Amino acid sequence: MTRCLDEAMLQSYFDGELSGEMMERATLHLASCSTCAAAAREMEEEIQLLTTALGAEFEASVPTEQLRQRIDAAVLDQRVGAASSRERAGFGAFVSSLLSFGTQRTLGYASLAMVVAFAAIFGLVKLRTTTEQPQPGNQVAVVPSSGPPSTPVVSPEINPVQVKSSEPQKNRDNIDRVYRSARPVAVKATVKANTGAPASEPVKLIPGERAYLQTIARLDSTIKANKKAMRPSLQVEYERNLAVVDRAIAATRSAAKKNPNDPDTADFMFAAYQSKVDLLNTIADARFGGGRSH
Amino acid sequence: MEGAHTERPGPKLINKLFAVAAAFGIILSLAGSTPAHDEKKGSQPGEKVERTISVDPQATITLCVASGSLTVRGWDKLQVRVRSLDAEQLDFRRIDKTKDPNTPAMRIDVMVLDKSSRANPKLDCQAIADVEMDVPAGATVQAQTRDGDIRIVGVAAAYAGSQNGDITIERASKLVEAGSVGGSIFLRDSSGRVNLSSAGGGVEATNVRGATGDDTFEVGTVSGDIQLDRIASPKVMAKTVSGTLKLSGALVKSGYYAFTNMTGDVVLALPHDASFRLNAKVSEKKDIVSEFPLTYISEVAATPPSPPGSKSVPPPPAGTGPKAPPAVKEKEKTPVKEKAMPRVGPVVTGPIVVARPAVVVPYVRRFEAICGTGDATISVASFGGMVMLKKL
Repeated sequence: MTRCLDEAMLQSYFDGELSGEMMERATLHLASCSTCAAAAREMEEEIQLLTTALGAEFEASVPTEQLRQRIDAAVLDQRVGAASSRERAGFGAFVSSLLSFGTQRTLGYASLAMVVAFAAIFGLVKLRTTTEQPQPGNQVAVVPSSGPPSTPVVSPEINPVQVKSSEPQKNRDNIDRVYRSARPVAVKATVKANTGAPASEPVKLIPGERAYLQTIARLDSTIKANKKAMRPSLQVEYERNLAVVDRAIAATRSAAKKNPNDPDTADFMFAAYQSKVDLLNTIADARFGGGRSH
Repeated sequence: MEGAHTERPGPKLINKLFAVAAAFGIILSLAGSTPAHDEKKGSQPGEKVERTISVDPQATITLCVASGSLTVRGWDKLQVRVRSLDAEQLDFRRIDKTKDPNTPAMRIDVMVLDKSSRANPKLDCQAIADVEMDVPAGATVQAQTRDGDIRIVGVAAAYAGSQNGDITIERASKLVEAGSVGGSIFLRDSSGRVNLSSAGGGVEATNVRGATGDDTFEVGTVSGDIQLDRIASPKVMAKTVSGTLKLSGALVKSGYYAFTNMTGDVVLALPHDASFRLNAKVSEKKDIVSEFPLTYISEVAATPPSPPGSKSVPPPPAGTGPKAPPAVKEKEKTPVKEKAMPRVGPVVTGPIVVARPAVVVPYVRRFEAICGTGDATISVASFGGMVMLKKL
């Protein structure tokens, strides 16, 4: 993975919601990309902070990103299913369905007729009590409809479509609202992952690897602690050699993962990590050194 | 009436006296403004500044600038002499524990000040100037610059650091430590403990030996090549990530040589009578090519739980590998010194290619072999490169 991880990807990474392959790629990328590693640390710190502050609230179970995706998928399926069934039925089937009076449809029509009747009565009463609005066309305005006055009050051609299309949208909006308001949900998942709770795809570090990653992260922070911009010549050398080392780490790590029982392969990986530590030390010295060392 | 009369001094004489006095005054003023000693603290641009101080034969001298080349030479005088054409001012700062001015200095910081750093002397190592320095041959020198080259010749111990410049060290007798980010490092005709590192630059070392039995020779790069020629230290360790690693010359008897490379090749050019034990680790995809007769002790399939049929595969005799030359006849010419070591695998001679096993389980192949009596030990690990043993 050469592209940097965006926030959503990082969040999913911490939540353990990435697939196994993606998780591994993300881990490798974090090991090699100082920018993303810094972003990950920042997010982790935020998570820790939130966890401490909102620990009690996290006890309540709330939907996760996966749940949201499942809901979205279900809604989408429903819409696609409805649309396809409509296409299959055609206009004739639609008309015949209108004329076929089942129990549910009969009740619907009856309630619709009642609404119209109530509206008519209400309109008549209004007409009698109000002398300022003599035009009968305005009766339609009583009906809770935003359409123009000439539009029929009840249009069987429009209503079903509107209802079917607006409902999922409402659902989606509601879900989005819930999701946004429940953003710290991911934090809870992260906390679980951090505390050893079973995650969907936990990151499997090779024994001994964590210490190197921590050291690299610290050195990277040290280098970045210097606010002065790195000199271009140093920056070029740094990035060029960092890329070389990162490629070596990726290659050896991949081999070590595929051969978990081979200590020699792991040794190569650790040697590559050590090369990165040495390089970062050299760069840190170059940035902060320059003086005499007695 | 003409009588003798005394002549009063006329205006001419007064003028002459005044001119003489003026000339004398000018001479005196010029003499007062010129230093009587050749030491100069400040100078005009383009004028050489020079300073000298007496020091202990084993003094430690540090010299650093922000940018500029540094040249240090050992000489037989017990003095440190510093010269520069670019610096505005040169000073010595004694950092001895004893501040007695009558005793020669043991530790000295050479302060190089240019126009900007002179305005703020607290800014150490910020001058931009080329500096030359002569020190006692037994001195320890620490030289540091950011952009320029460093050259140190004929001192006891040398510490040198440069970000982008090259570092050349010759005839160091006890210790060498040099590091660069992008520059190359050259070490010649030296002895003692050595540690050289460069990220992007190459490292070349020629004719280096250990001064004591404990001296180590360590060198490391990231992408730079490593070229070692006639290294006679008892312990030699070299590692690079993507550079090529080459060693040529005789091995020290009972010496230990460790080479690690990630993606580059490792080439060892040894005398035809070299005697060594080889411990090699290479990836399954790469070869080990040897021109020496190697007797295999073992080849280890690194993965302990091998599936059925993937038992440790002994290296095939010469000729079975994809690049094996017709050297099978040599098989009967078992080296005489074979008795010295236990033999597990077949004896083969080179040039050979240590072929990959038919059944591949581990990613890394590890095997041990011996050449001659196995006096020196060579440990080679190459993840993605080839290992070659050549005859000189």
